[in-house]
Amino acid sequence: MNPSAPAAFKADHQTQMPPEARAQRALSSFAREFGALTALRMESCIHCGMCADACHFYIATEDPKYTPIWKVEPFKQAYKRESGPFAPLYRLFGLKKEVTTAELEQWQELLFDSCNLCGRCSLICPMGIDVATLIEQARHAMFDAGLAPTELHDAARRQELFGEPWESKEPYLKKLAELGRAHQVAIPVDLPQADVLLLVSGVEIDRYPAQVAALAKVMAHLGVKATFRSDALFAENMAYFTGARDWQRNISEYVIREAVKVGAKTVIVPECGHAYTALRWEAAELHGAKLPFAVQHITEFLADALKAGTLRLRKAEGGSVTFHDPCQLVRRGGVMDAPRALMKALDLDLRELKNKQGFSYCCAGGGGVLMIERAKELRYRAVAPKLHEIDATGAQQLLTSCSGCRASFEDAADHFHWNKKPASLLELVANHLA
Amino acid sequence: MTQPTIGELLLQNGVSRRAFLKYCTAMATLMALPAGMGRALAAQAAAARRLAVVYLSFQECTGCAESLLRAYSPSIENLLFNVISLDYQHTLMAAAGHQAEGALAQTMKENFGQYLVIVDGAIPAADGGVYGTSGGKSYLDTMREVSKGAAAIISLGTCAAFGGIPMAKPNPTGAVPVSDVISDKPIVNVSGCPPVPEVITGTLFQFVAMGKLPELDALGRPKTFFGNTIHDRCYRRPFYDEGKFAKTFDDEGARNGWCLYELGCKGPTTYNACATVKWNGGTSWPVESGHGCIGCSEPNFWDKGSFYAPLSSAAFGRAGNVSPRDAARLVGAAAVVGGAIGLGAAAVSRQRQTRLAGAPLDPQKKED
Amino acid sequence: MDLLSFARGPALQFALVVFFIGVAWRIVGITLLRTGRLLSEPRTSLGKALFGGFVTMGSRSWPHPEFVGRTGAGEALGYSYHIGLFIVVLAFGPHIQTWAGFLGFDWPALPSGVITIISVITFALLLAVLFRRLTHRVLRLLSNFDDYFSWFITTLVIVTGLLATAHFGARYETLLGLHVLSFDVLLLWFPFGKLMHAFYIMPSRAINGYLLARKGAPS
Repeated sequence: MNPSAPAAFKADHQTQMPPEARAQRALSSFAREFGALTALRMESCIHCGMCADACHFYIATEDPKYTPIWKVEPFKQAYKRESGPFAPLYRLFGLKKEVTTAELEQWQELLFDSCNLCGRCSLICPMGIDVATLIEQARHAMFDAGLAPTELHDAARRQELFGEPWESKEPYLKKLAELGRAHQVAIPVDLPQADVLLLVSGVEIDRYPAQVAALAKVMAHLGVKATFRSDALFAENMAYFTGARDWQRNISEYVIREAVKVGAKTVIVPECGHAYTALRWEAAELHGAKLPFAVQHITEFLADALKAGTLRLRKAEGGSVTFHDPCQLVRRGGVMDAPRALMKALDLDLRELKNKQGFSYCCAGGGGVLMIERAKELRYRAVAPKLHEIDATGAQQLLTSCSGCRASFEDAADHFHWNKKPASLLELVANHLA
Repeated sequence: MTQPTIGELLLQNGVSRRAFLKYCTAMATLMALPAGMGRALAAQAAAARRLAVVYLSFQECTGCAESLLRAYSPSIENLLFNVISLDYQHTLMAAAGHQAEGALAQTMKENFGQYLVIVDGAIPAADGGVYGTSGGKSYLDTMREVSKGAAAIISLGTCAAFGGIPMAKPNPTGAVPVSDVISDKPIVNVSGCPPVPEVITGTLFQFVAMGKLPELDALGRPKTFFGNTIHDRCYRRPFYDEGKFAKTFDDEGARNGWCLYELGCKGPTTYNACATVKWNGGTSWPVESGHGCIGCSEPNFWDKGSFYAPLSSAAFGRAGNVSPRDAARLVGAAAVVGGAIGLGAAAVSRQRQTRLAGAPLDPQKKED
Repeated sequence: MDLLSFARGPALQFALVVFFIGVAWRIVGITLLRTGRLLSEPRTSLGKALFGGFVTMGSRSWPHPEFVGRTGAGEALGYSYHIGLFIVVLAFGPHIQTWAGFLGFDWPALPSGVITIISVITFALLLAVLFRRLTHRVLRLLSNFDDYFSWFITTLVIVTGLLATAHFGARYETLLGLHVLSFDVLLLWFPFGKLMHAFYIMPSRAINGYLLARKGAPS
């Protein structure tokens, strides 16, 4: 064996089952879920290859296997063979091979390690295909086949069973109380009734406690009747990354249940990206009915307050800043203007990225990639376009509004000895209340 | 008794050598033979004996014979009747009945292996050939018998060459071209409905003067006259190239002499000499008179769709060409059928989904 | 029956029937699959979202400025042969007459010489596009029989058309017959391959544009 050849990719497995059964389960899962829209998307691909030119994984590595639509290739073949309008013909004439477990194992890397679900590919496709959503759907099938990355699977399982995405020696409630004390701010927990249900990100509590404090501070400042609930503390939805659809529903049900219990009119997603996607744009569909409350990202909530005049901000001193739009907020969420309204009120010297208003690169940590240990080297390569994009603005400081992005940038800064440290927009707001 | 040579005959009839040379040169030019061939042709023709010709008329309208007779400049063309000995021809010969048949038998006997057979009209072959008889014999039998001693056969007109109008749908008499009946003699197809007069005389003259058949195209027609399409020699071609088409027979385009493609001209796929040699001694030809070419020198021209539908139009449907209504019906019916199949496919797919959704993936799953 | 009569007669009829059956089958077979309900609160009004979908039908015809640097050339190459094909199919006199037979009306034609030039350019572009597909690393990975055959049959139609016009290689009516026959094969293939993108492109752009506009996201 050639020692310099790259080692064959070894997939993670969950659930004991005969190897052939995995492919079967993946296909059954996929067949269960898809509908006319997925079919139209899969049918529309003309193999133009443009999606590769939007994907930072391809751009950084020039490896064609990272072409976004290629990431769903086994499922495209399966769709045509099993569920499309000509499926019987494909099978009868043996025109498409059955998808094998070995193939799906190879595809685990493509679907999980090398995709942040950032949605840039969905913007470039000339046929208008939402490639990112196809990848999300493919992940569902992979999970059902027991072929999700171990870290993601374990985190999703933990959150679905116990409500907590991360392991912690200390109970989270205790950590919350501690950080409240440390920052001298009241953290309302388990109020029986509130207008606003607050959520916290596990990453925040452990790494960026100031963000949590900022959240509580701002709520108190605005006089909002808000509360955290211990039975639905976390904003994250690990099952979203993992593709565990049923678990994703169960996890968001925790939040829905508590929100209803306290009679909340609004659920606020803190500085986190995918939490927004999961709650704002997917929870109702999984729930099976319209949600009885609004879901807002904290920047949206604050921008509304700004507009209503209830929030006033002081000018923030400091040099020039640039803002990183978290992909799940901007491209997949539609939250574009809110952060800018806040930054304008802070009178910041804002240098927008050249790829602006939803076209900027991903931090390369989203979609669960940050959590996958074996994907580290790949992630570092994929974040390079983003770092260049930021440096090109000439701004001195980097602002963002997602703790996942923040962690990803910090890790990249460590690796590359990069000179910028990402800061939280919420913290900035909380420190400049007028 | 020895026949006089053509040269001797001409002199007897008061045709000067000069006039004969002029005629031969004209013929040579017409057939694009090399310069100097005119003289060679004249020499050979003068030294040749008159060729015995037997003219058989089958399922014909006599138009081809009339075209030959209308060959212009009668004083020159009549020469042809001094160059050939037309021993049997239903329309022209004075004899009838047994005398006529006797003349045929005699010339066949006297010139066996050397006489030229000109055939006019298609041959009905169905039911043993009963649909065409003359003198008690079927055309089919006559054709086979007479061709036995023929040096060559000229199928005159599209009916003899390709079956023509008698062969058009539904062809109740089982009409066939000469080449379907005779396979052991050289056949020249001089097609056209009728052929251009000078095309007939030119072909005949070449055979008489040079003793061999002209070079033939893939359909057995003399390349000299049938080597180019009407389209490639049409004087209205610049309008085709410019995209200027007459849309009706009396519109501005028609009056300006624009291309007749949209009015059904089959020029692009028709090989003949009409565009260059023209008719009535070069007076005009169909396109010049404002009507599109109907492709009469091509096989099956009668069954290739309307004369007034353009060559690029679809040629199926009851009328031979598709009308918008035909098209709408076809599309509608096909869409309904396709939609129904698609509905079935979707139903099967959805049913499969329901079945899969009903079955839980694996109750063991949470216990790993 | 000679080749040309067959090609524009029974072969064309069969091809058209298969084409329309196949297209209807494929489109209905997709449309009648399950559709999910959208239950999340939209950010924009229905009118704005629909308008967003409508705009996306056109806007995806050219990459967003942020993407143009990397993809502009390739996309321009693809578009230009499409434009060439459209002009040849829709503005050449004899082609217009084919349409007129089906539709009942016609329109003015471009000079045939112009069409010939455009056809030659289109053919050259098709060759360039094939070269790109064979050499670009992404396209080499993605491409399958469908991609190559769809290219082949499209190019064959244009090549046989040019050969017929040039009277090159065989008798004119044979070349014309081959040209029409190759079009018949194109019709037969159309519903089963990626040429169907002609029908998918607008609905796909519109629907996905609507879904994005509904979220207030860029499309």
